[in-house]
Amino acid sequence: MRRAPAWSVALWGGVAVIAGLVLTPFWFVVTGSIKAPQEIIARVPTVIPESFTLQHYDKLLAASDYAGYLVNSLIVATASTALTLALAIPAGYAFFRLQFRGRGALYRTILLAYAFPSIVVLVPLFAMFARVGLVDTRAALVLVNAAFALPFAIWMLRAFFAQIPPEIEEAARLDGGPPLTVLRRILLPLIAPGIGAVAIFAFVTAWTEYVFASVLILSDARRPLPVGFAGIIGQYQVDWGLLLAGASLAILPVVLLFAAIGRWFVAGLTEGAVK
Amino acid sequence: MSEVELAAIAKSFGETEVIPPLDLRVPDGEFCVFVGPSGCGKSTLLRMIAGLEEPSAGQVRIGGRDVTREDPSDRGLAMVFQSYALYPHMTVAQNMEFGLEMAGMPREARRAEVEKAARLLKLDRFLDRKPRALSGGQRQRVAIGRAIVRQPGVFLFDEPLSNLDAELRVEMRLELARIHRQVGATMIYVTHDQVEAMTMADRIVVLREGRIEQQGPPERLYADPDTLFVAGFLGAPRMNLTPCAVTGCEGGRALVDVPALGITGLAVPLRDPAAPPPRSAILGLRPEAFAPAGQGRAATLKAEVVENTGAARYLYTATDRAIALVAEIPRGQSIGTGETLEVGVAAEDCLLFASEGPRL
Repeated sequence: MRRAPAWSVALWGGVAVIAGLVLTPFWFVVTGSIKAPQEIIARVPTVIPESFTLQHYDKLLAASDYAGYLVNSLIVATASTALTLALAIPAGYAFFRLQFRGRGALYRTILLAYAFPSIVVLVPLFAMFARVGLVDTRAALVLVNAAFALPFAIWMLRAFFAQIPPEIEEAARLDGGPPLTVLRRILLPLIAPGIGAVAIFAFVTAWTEYVFASVLILSDARRPLPVGFAGIIGQYQVDWGLLLAGASLAILPVVLLFAAIGRWFVAGLTEGAVK
Repeated sequence: MSEVELAAIAKSFGETEVIPPLDLRVPDGEFCVFVGPSGCGKSTLLRMIAGLEEPSAGQVRIGGRDVTREDPSDRGLAMVFQSYALYPHMTVAQNMEFGLEMAGMPREARRAEVEKAARLLKLDRFLDRKPRALSGGQRQRVAIGRAIVRQPGVFLFDEPLSNLDAELRVEMRLELARIHRQVGATMIYVTHDQVEAMTMADRIVVLREGRIEQQGPPERLYADPDTLFVAGFLGAPRMNLTPCAVTGCEGGRALVDVPALGITGLAVPLRDPAAPPPRSAILGLRPEAFAPAGQGRAATLKAEVVENTGAARYLYTATDRAIALVAEIPRGQSIGTGETLEVGVAAEDCLLFASEGPRL
């Protein structure tokens, strides 16, 4: 389809504004992390760095527990993502495929999880975890993160399941595929974009979670990045270079995840299946 | 042995009865076509045979075995869907192989079967392609191939050609007939296209509102329909059905006056000479059954519309299809709109129906 030139200009303009809004802070964070301290706090900020130093990274990795926090966060976020997917896929499929009394009501009810501010459930949750000995474990964070990611993940995956033409599943049943094989071999590849989206959502949610981690984790060695990092950057005086270097590094795993999963986001996976 | 037998099978969705109890036997190796207008229950019937729909009552038997409660995959059948339902992320070969893999066939044997079927369907060049890189006809052949490799006793087809263009449809029709000859399996084929039904079937089952209206070989259904519905459903253009008055009976024939043709006292043979016909009835006469002028009783038809299908030309006496009479114009005769055609009407070619539907 040919677009009118004015329309094209408007579209590109819109994209440029949005990209600018999103990317400008990133630019200042990442370039700031390699600037000399004087340049970072200069009265007129420089868009293109005039100095170059790795001293902030050096200090961050050599003289703080940042690397340990990073590993903790990676473990927690990866495990949370895996648990979320492991539960949301069968649950989404069940909500889509099984007919049972109260299905619609239950399906709407699970979203109630988002009605409560996390601070409200924090205290009872702490008491419960204390009773079963989960306080100050990474497993506690994994459970909490998965619990909060699940309702949305189930909704999202159910919608993706619903887009698969029913005949494909019927054909697989006629071909003799047991339900779990049909799910794994036929249906999951077709909802790959949905799984990718849920994975990114669950990972980012867990990666950035602060409130639960700050309360449920007591020992410094088990702290994930957001909590641990908050301690590094200084209580009375902010070390801007350190902060920017830490923030830059913290973005990295998420960017890598997007790069890895992004290729799943291709439209028309079911193209050619029907009609 | 893959005879399919439905015994008092019925289906309701909630309060709505879609298929009242119905009996049907499809002998081993037969090409049986279910035909009927949309919503007549033909697809539901097929899906109950497949096991994709659970019957509300009755039994499905395949090869003498009661399979009513069995999983689709345990019934020894394969189904080709209207929408093909290929696995889009798999290649043609993987699509065809999946069922064999599920059946536990070793890889080498699977490959051999797939290649054999691919040759039969002229798909050998496309085995490594994904469905999206195929044309509609090729996709449909893959769907058929997926059914063939499993060597089922029964093939089920749910309007498999309705998404194809006209030429391809003819081609696939011939191909299916050839496959039926080659594999010799029982085939049950659902369509609303009466040309497909007429050309492919050993037996046609005409369904209407979930009931079997009539079943039998295509020729018999066409020439000797039991009801108005069957008479009107098979044949294109459809049979002329026009009201007539029965004035008397004579030697197993009813004497009828046909106002639309301007004929009185036409002696139409009755199916059951013993049963007295009602006073008013419907006369049926196929468009190609008009005799040349001079044979039988004379009638004059005025052309409101002349339709040329290429193979034949038809005269319509009105633009409203509900009241129009249609006649095939004899070859070599040219008729324009507004002109008249002299025809003959042979009583032997006419059929008589009660206005409620049954044949008289």
